[in-house]
Amino acid sequence: MEKVEKNSLAKAKARSTAIAATVFLLPALILIAIYIVYPVVDTFIISGFKWNGISSDRIYIGLENWNTLIHDSMFWKSFGHNLIVMVCSIILQIPLGMLLATFLDAGGRKFNIFKVIWFLPYLMSSVAIAFLFVYALATNGGLVSSLVTLIKGQKTTIDLLGSAPNALFTIIGVMAWQFTPFYMVYFIAGYGNIDTTIYEAAIIDGATRRQYLRHIAIPLLGPIFKTACTMSLIGSLKYFDMIWNMTQGGPAGTTELMATYMYKLSFQQFNMGYGSTVAAGMFILITAIALFFNRVFKVKEDY
Amino acid sequence: MRRKIMSLVFASILTVSALSGCSNSSSTPKGSEEGTDKSASSGAKQTDGKNLPQLTTEPLTITLWDISTEDPGKSNVEGAVKRFMADYPNITVNQVHQQNDNYKQQLVVAMSSGQAPNIYCHWGGGPMAEYYKSGFANDITEMYAKYDHPDFVDAAVAQSTYDGKMLAIPYSGLTGCDIFYNKTIFSDLGLEVPTTIDELEDVCDKLKAKGIIPFSLANASKWTGSMYYMYLVARHSGNAEFDAAYTQENGGTFTSPAFIYAGEKIQEWVKKGYFPDGVNSLSADDNQDRALLYDGSAAMMLHGSWQVSGIKADNEEWYNKNIGVFRFPEDSEAKASGVPQNVEIGTAIGMGLTFNCFKKDGSVDQEMLDACYVLATQYFNDDTYNNAQFSTGTIPSIKGFNENIDDPNNKYIIDEFFKASNVQLWYDQYLPASVTEVHKNCMTELFGLEKTPLEIGKEQDEAMKKALKE
Repeated sequence: MEKVEKNSLAKAKARSTAIAATVFLLPALILIAIYIVYPVVDTFIISGFKWNGISSDRIYIGLENWNTLIHDSMFWKSFGHNLIVMVCSIILQIPLGMLLATFLDAGGRKFNIFKVIWFLPYLMSSVAIAFLFVYALATNGGLVSSLVTLIKGQKTTIDLLGSAPNALFTIIGVMAWQFTPFYMVYFIAGYGNIDTTIYEAAIIDGATRRQYLRHIAIPLLGPIFKTACTMSLIGSLKYFDMIWNMTQGGPAGTTELMATYMYKLSFQQFNMGYGSTVAAGMFILITAIALFFNRVFKVKEDY
Repeated sequence: MRRKIMSLVFASILTVSALSGCSNSSSTPKGSEEGTDKSASSGAKQTDGKNLPQLTTEPLTITLWDISTEDPGKSNVEGAVKRFMADYPNITVNQVHQQNDNYKQQLVVAMSSGQAPNIYCHWGGGPMAEYYKSGFANDITEMYAKYDHPDFVDAAVAQSTYDGKMLAIPYSGLTGCDIFYNKTIFSDLGLEVPTTIDELEDVCDKLKAKGIIPFSLANASKWTGSMYYMYLVARHSGNAEFDAAYTQENGGTFTSPAFIYAGEKIQEWVKKGYFPDGVNSLSADDNQDRALLYDGSAAMMLHGSWQVSGIKADNEEWYNKNIGVFRFPEDSEAKASGVPQNVEIGTAIGMGLTFNCFKKDGSVDQEMLDACYVLATQYFNDDTYNNAQFSTGTIPSIKGFNENIDDPNNKYIIDEFFKASNVQLWYDQYLPASVTEVHKNCMTELFGLEKTPLEIGKEQDEAMKKALKE
């Protein structure tokens, strides 16, 4: 008798938990379904059609768009640019962010002012940053060209955005300027998470500051590293806004990324069907690369 | 692990949803509702006595999209709508001013999501055909023949027509394309206005010798460089080779002599330093080309005639003192072999208004279409509207307006426009959208000396062939 009662109590509790969970999760699930799952599924569906994006009749063409995609040199070229951006971003942003974080962590409170200043770029919108740098890098009266002219004493033009391959690397630089602060804060939080007792123990054992960093703090940041890399990786593979506002993929497609290519096809060239195929292709590639990355760089999560 | 896979999947999902999840958000509808004033009560309309369709007396709402976000254009188009609503108080026109930069994309998104405006503006050419083929443009050929309308110049009617069907009402004026030059620099150096390309090169060399950049060009915008290409092709072959290349039939190709000539000429000029350094990173959107003209570092600029009102608005005094204009010089060799030298580049309509009045079942909503027609032909394009345009340096595409123009540069541009045997619409508006993209990239590569004229010709051919197949 008693046992039964206990069971039904447990059941009641489980049921009420289930109800509560449903109630709490439902709004998020509905939003995810509408704004994420549905568009993704729809993108894959549209990729099976020949459709200009506005006409009411779409023609089903099966996998023809996918066939085009596989043989589309422009798409693979854009993907290549994405990979360059990805590698450079990881090489630049994460060590820099880490360096700044280490500096701030060592400095403690008195460096708070740097923390604020260095974080500012990340607070600006990508569009504003794009315009800022377009003006600063302009060949005609831009900051860089003017400075070099001043130093050299004769009119010099530094064309950073208008010629290949400068443009792509300039953009990688600007991206680093924008996103490094994010990783800086991320690593500061990582340092903050390390138990102070570990630091104290190390000091008591006679470790120098450098040894502490080299052998204790940085290894402990491992999981943070990995997450940061994954974020940077996904971010640079789907990058769009700033590049669109700085070069629109130009000059002559040398800064074309998958996302700008997709946008041009879908909204400028009346080719929504193929644009969706590019989007779906991006989806597959990004997921694959991210999974591969996670598999290869297995870092122990607990310490 | 599974959770991690899921989170990765979701993270990359965000990429894809960037495409499908977009909607037209940022438009701020600006209903001009205060326009119902006295003339309505008296019952007298400015359309009285004209041969026009009888408009409904039931309430009706029309959505109109234009890109006039700045004065003087903005108050002018708003004025037209206000006068219309005063005369027809039962009809509400919901006028939305879109940003030019992303206008074409906005329109595509609106059309695909069933939110397309009932009247919208566009530049004609390839996109207009696309809108029509997709069922977002009313064929107004019959109405135009039956009812009153302004006496548009022939070229404007031609540019509003696709496949023999009238699809748009012009409303933003003629635009020519000519070379603006600094009169002061020319007279200081004792230079004459060139009439042949050889003379032009001579002028350029002399300017170059004095350390002045001959042409101010901002080619990050690409359509700016295209103007040189278009004109050199036109001077070398009239319309013949471009028309042939457009159809890709009877041996027509973008690698034919005129295109090679144009490409080689441009690259020769680039090598000689006729254009500013870093030409591909200067942008016409920021008027960086105009800036070079202003500070005297460049002497000439091939550009659309909207520059007249633009430069005037910046500094009228400087404009009056320094700016002159001449037509793109002639190719004497081609002329000798009988190629017409009066094919001009530009547009006869500027922009047109196209109507999208359909019922849910796909049949034409005649009631609304009538109202749109009256609005576009009688309130846009009425005297008040035209005079306001005229006073700011834009010439309406209506016969008779080329008479008393007081700005000498505008007078010159318009005279050349009317003397033209043919006005070729900008390639980047005329070509199908996918070819336009290729053409624009080719312009970057051409001016950047990254590809030869033959290579860009082949690329354009390939794109054109692909577009024709579709």
